[in-house]
Amino acid sequence: MIVFASALTFFFVNLAPGGPASIMRFDVSAEQREALIRLMGLDRPVPQRYLEWLAGALRGYLGTSLLTNEPVAARIGDRLPNTLTLAGSALLISVVLGIPIGVVQAMRRGRAIDHVLSLLTAVGLSVPVFWLGIILILVFAVSLHVLPSAGVTSVSSDTLGDRLAHLVLPAVALATTILPTVVRFTRSSMIEVLHEDYVRTATSKGLPPSTVMTRHALRNALIPVVSAVGALVPRLIGGTVVTEAVFGWPGMGRLALEAAQGRDYPLVTGLTVVVAAIAVLASLLVDLAYTRIDPRVRLA
Amino acid sequence: MLFQARSRLALGALALVGALLVSACTGAAQPSGSPVASAQAAPVAGGTVTIPIGADPTLNPWSPNAFVESLFINRAIFEGVTKPGKDLAPAPDLAESWTTAADGLSWTFKLRSGVKWSDGSPFSADDVAFTFNDVVLKPDLGAQNRASYAAVKSVTAVDPNTVRFDLSRKFAALPSFLAYNAGILPKHVLAANPLTTTSFNKGVPVSTGPFKVEKYTSGQSVSLVRNDNYFGPKAYLDKVVFTVVPDPNTQVAQALSGDISIMILDNKAAVDRVKTAPGLLVASRPLVQYYWLALNQTDPRFTDVRVRQAFVYAIDRQAIIKSVELGYGSIANSPITPALAAYYDPSLASKYPYDPQKAKDLLTAAGWKAGADGVMQKDGKPFQFTMDVGQRGVLEPVNALIQQDLKKVGVIADLNTMEWNSYIQKDVVRRDYSATVNWWTYPSDPDVFPYYHSSAAGKGFNIPGYQDPKLDDLLVQGQSASDLESRKAVYKQLQAYTSETLPYLFLWYPQEIDVISTSLKGVPELGLRDAMHYLGEWWLAKK
Repeated sequence: MIVFASALTFFFVNLAPGGPASIMRFDVSAEQREALIRLMGLDRPVPQRYLEWLAGALRGYLGTSLLTNEPVAARIGDRLPNTLTLAGSALLISVVLGIPIGVVQAMRRGRAIDHVLSLLTAVGLSVPVFWLGIILILVFAVSLHVLPSAGVTSVSSDTLGDRLAHLVLPAVALATTILPTVVRFTRSSMIEVLHEDYVRTATSKGLPPSTVMTRHALRNALIPVVSAVGALVPRLIGGTVVTEAVFGWPGMGRLALEAAQGRDYPLVTGLTVVVAAIAVLASLLVDLAYTRIDPRVRLA
Repeated sequence: MLFQARSRLALGALALVGALLVSACTGAAQPSGSPVASAQAAPVAGGTVTIPIGADPTLNPWSPNAFVESLFINRAIFEGVTKPGKDLAPAPDLAESWTTAADGLSWTFKLRSGVKWSDGSPFSADDVAFTFNDVVLKPDLGAQNRASYAAVKSVTAVDPNTVRFDLSRKFAALPSFLAYNAGILPKHVLAANPLTTTSFNKGVPVSTGPFKVEKYTSGQSVSLVRNDNYFGPKAYLDKVVFTVVPDPNTQVAQALSGDISIMILDNKAAVDRVKTAPGLLVASRPLVQYYWLALNQTDPRFTDVRVRQAFVYAIDRQAIIKSVELGYGSIANSPITPALAAYYDPSLASKYPYDPQKAKDLLTAAGWKAGADGVMQKDGKPFQFTMDVGQRGVLEPVNALIQQDLKKVGVIADLNTMEWNSYIQKDVVRRDYSATVNWWTYPSDPDVFPYYHSSAAGKGFNIPGYQDPKLDDLLVQGQSASDLESRKAVYKQLQAYTSETLPYLFLWYPQEIDVISTSLKGVPELGLRDAMHYLGEWWLAKK
């Protein structure tokens, strides 16, 4: 599947209009352009270039970036940890906040608190990340001076506390891309489960409400939520493009934007392979999580 | 998705305006922003200056991947044979003085003695010869700006402190061109691989300027420290940090929060917000840049000079400057910008006032007649064409305004908005277009040969493909005239001639808006990228 994704990407980006940024400049003469096309090897047919790339990739070499002449794997490896930190934190925030909020809404269905939280999730769904990002910077960095505005670390100090402080705003901004969906899924799934016979049975058995909620209702309600969260991972990765640009976060999202705009063919392909691998891994993790929470699913 | 980028910029600007409220709540909004007129204090050493850049730079002035964000650092750390003076005329840098031969076919530069590279190795004329003979003049390497040196045959190190440029034709502007992104590379480091050595381009390059690179952190920052091997006076600042911040609105927010010492305000909509911020100054700076509308000369409708003149009368350029540049610019009627004060002819500024009636009269004189729907027609065909719009900077709103203005005189321009990279391929590489708006930025010299000469039509930088023997003659005369007075005379004629014939339709000369911390001193009144040549003179007042 990953090979298929790489082939598709390789051919599509090579067939897209335009070319590598070094030759698609106003101030490059025709003669320079031809010399650079030869230097980059782009005068050879696309299928031949793909096969060469694939042969390298199978041996673990993802090619050389056209924009910087660095190995593609090194450029991605440089940025991957930052994106995983950011996306992981956003995911954590979404799950840790989203599930309890959804549960509260389900339990207080139709009450004022449910309406207020529903309104907030609707707002959360409709606010664009870049706008929220700027607002967060203006409030917490410009006006209140409590958090840094951009980057992963300060230039002068690189401590864990400093890194965490830099992480807060982008992680919160990115979390808004999926948090409302997590809340909505939890709420509707919980409402459905609360009407199931086994919940009524458990309650009539005289079990305390907290036990009914956690052991019977929530555990079953989480099954669709977990698969929803797995499906949200690609959206989260997509959200990093904007978040990383706004917060000057040196991650893969920004790298992908630069690679696409600069038509860095090997880098775009390499990024696609890595993101495809992450998506595959995420769905694998979802399957594993099922075995933990769904009593009907057990690993053979 | 790229379309969103524009609205994102606009919305971000809206957020910044909204931020007025936020800062009003937290107080400390006292008026400032008036130029400091107090007595000049003596410079003091120390401190760190922070400057935002939009993307990772490539620290090699000749690399084809050194884009606009690279200029800041490359101009601060690498030195050229010359550099732009504070009046933009070429000034000494690695060379102390220069002369041209009597026949004008060679230039000899006397280099400073005792110059060292930042790694302690001695600098010599061999480095200059290497930079040109083995890098710029090597066609296979595709070095950036090599097209500017078409007249240079070879460069010879006469002795360690003397270097001679031999030319195939006269090239009076050579000292100006050598001041423009033409930093000299260290032969002892780059002999094997001058343009793609990663440890140099993306690491810690060896350079000769007052600062050197301390650390390059991809995607985050590049920090500079004093170069202790620098030949000149020691720089005042301890450190200069360039932070990579791609979003222009975030850059503004960082300036407001005091994280940034100086920056170019790309998003001019934020200028009022910045003006009211404490601790920040706003200054306008001259640029060697002009916007133009190119009408493809392979289209017979555009070869009639009356049609081109009619378009210029029809476009309300003052309104464009007001709404798009917030007044930071002036009307252009020739390629020579006001920043080149020695050459600029201000008498042409009022040549084409906004006059739709005159535009219609000229179109009528050129054989166009208004049809029943008000659209100009000739041989039963309406005057209609497509303008390609590249998504960058102010181009989209400008094209929309031009479209409206042309419509008022019965000319239909359909806008075709394109992602930048694809736009370059279609309009610049293939020249497959009817009309398009863009700009030129060029070395601080009136020699505009590459953009206007008929030999540059089709493949070179002559985008409209305008060919005119009289203009060619003026361009060659300008390159041949050796002294300032005769050059002035030629380029005065060239301005008058181009304003009449309109090879490109000249739109406006933009100005740059810089946001500067009030504690930062010693920055010359140049565009920020040019001011980087003087980074050694910048200093921070103690608070």
